[in-house]
Amino acid sequence: MTTAGWLQIAIFIGIVGLLTRPLGGYLARVYAGERTFLQPLLRPIETALYRIAGVKPDLEQSWYQYAGTLLLFHALGTAALYGLLRLQSWLPLNPQDLPPVSPDLALNTAVSFVTNTSWQSYSGETTLSYASQMAGITVQSFLSVAAGIAVAVAFIRGFARRRSATIGNFWVDLTRGTLYVLLPICVVAALFLVAAGVPQTLAPPAEVTTLDGNTQVIARGPVATQEVIKLMSGDGGGFFNVNSAHPFENPTPLTNLAEVVLIMVLGAALTNCFGRMVGSERQGWALLGVMAILFGLGVGALYPLEAAGNPALTALQPGQTAGAQRPGGNMEGKEMRFGIAGSALFANASTASSDGAVNSMHDSFLPLSGGILLANMMVDEVIVGAPGSGLFGMLLFCIVTVFLGGLMIGRTPEYAGKKMRSSEIKMTILALLVVPAATLGLAAVACVVEPGLAGLGNAGPHGYSEILYAYTSAAATNGSAFAGLNANSPFYNLTLALAMFAGRFLVIVPVLAIAGSLAAQPIISRSAGTLPTDGALYVFFLLGVIVIVGGLTYLPALALGPIVESLQVTNGMLY
Amino acid sequence: MLDLIMLLLVVVCFGLATAYASLCEYLLARPTGEDGSL
Repeated sequence: MTTAGWLQIAIFIGIVGLLTRPLGGYLARVYAGERTFLQPLLRPIETALYRIAGVKPDLEQSWYQYAGTLLLFHALGTAALYGLLRLQSWLPLNPQDLPPVSPDLALNTAVSFVTNTSWQSYSGETTLSYASQMAGITVQSFLSVAAGIAVAVAFIRGFARRRSATIGNFWVDLTRGTLYVLLPICVVAALFLVAAGVPQTLAPPAEVTTLDGNTQVIARGPVATQEVIKLMSGDGGGFFNVNSAHPFENPTPLTNLAEVVLIMVLGAALTNCFGRMVGSERQGWALLGVMAILFGLGVGALYPLEAAGNPALTALQPGQTAGAQRPGGNMEGKEMRFGIAGSALFANASTASSDGAVNSMHDSFLPLSGGILLANMMVDEVIVGAPGSGLFGMLLFCIVTVFLGGLMIGRTPEYAGKKMRSSEIKMTILALLVVPAATLGLAAVACVVEPGLAGLGNAGPHGYSEILYAYTSAAATNGSAFAGLNANSPFYNLTLALAMFAGRFLVIVPVLAIAGSLAAQPIISRSAGTLPTDGALYVFFLLGVIVIVGGLTYLPALALGPIVESLQVTNGMLY
Repeated sequence: MLDLIMLLLVVVCFGLATAYASLCEYLLARPTGEDGSL
């Protein structure tokens, strides 16, 4: 470990902390339809879009209509992306003459990007045409995150409104999120990345002659525009197979820091947006506090673990000790330009935030570090999470926490001015059970059937971790991969698509149901018997619930993989 | 043929999600008895 490494992590936390309040305020104004500095420029476009689509922006929807619209929109999006991938060889912007994507892989990819997961069972630069990358992948990256934020905002309205039959208009929320939030940030950040060396071109891959006279093909394309939305959306699907480890996606330590900030900043700002919309910014800070503690625990363990190096190799590789000319530690699968700190920070942010982008190979992390990355995803992407889904995931845990608090003292639980009745608790449990059921159920199947075992790159607990990681990543809509596993087979493509679908839509539906139910309630005033949900006591109560629920659900699965492997590594057994 | 099967899978999955939403609506609308609030 180095001071510079810790400083890098501290700077990242400082930047995200500083941006949270102004961006949160901006988000609150955008979704309330209030005036923002971009309104003179974007309002005419917004109005024109409503007119073209026949949307009446003042006509609000019940939660059921909102959910139905969202499902229809994503069903059409899935079909459209599937069609694009299957027809890419007949479409323009295919300078490499790439063939159509196979049906099972096309379905997996379509579901992956529509669900904001971005699991990729393929190498982007050798599988997808520019048209597929730009009109398919990038478009869905925008729309899926805009939909996720829309659901979170609708959920917040459930808390903020009194005796209301509606929770907003999906089309309006989707449009405002895309126009006022995502596009402006993407334009600015994409220009920054281009200036830093990320390519943005429609030219075919470059052919160069190497020093020894051979010809080498260097893939390039419209990378910068996809890069920003990949990071900011919680999507994580890279232009290149190795994602942000590729120098064309993430060329310098400065871009690395900027990319980690982009991964986390919108999700963090949404906590402030929540606080403002329910009338108490302290509520938002309490949520961000829990997220920050969980994030700090993750990166605070990950960096020292990786910096200490592999215990089985200590005797063989004195280079594991940091020095002036070497980063030391476990550098397998990591880029020299990022080192241990930059890799640990990125990996922790990516798995905590549900983004899934990688700048190092998670399969090469030490077993316990791999366990931390798994645990980040297993807590249901509440450590900031993807924009939108991270916040509503955290709010689900808040409901469970006040429910448990209510049980302790025999009162009907309350949160942010709303009573949590049995109907809301039932919906919450439905939403929270989906991800573990999909993760553990499908991973168990993959561990015992031949097509599941055929994809393994490693034996023993490491191979099991690869399978567990794949389904955890898919169901938590993270999308990062543990490498090792060859998931481009009909079995993995279809079962992972199922996990992604369940992890996204079967959570969103009960979340919107809770929003509708809460919106119909009056707002109750705080009394002496109300559990304060904006103080330190509640922060640690919520933290305990998240850790215990996550621990009870997943500890046995983790024990069979990363934990047992870690014990074996200390005895010199490697996989 | 495979394309039709895949698209059918999409339709079935989103259809099931819509049915799931209807189930949630039914559960919310069902009288659950009064909570023992203080």
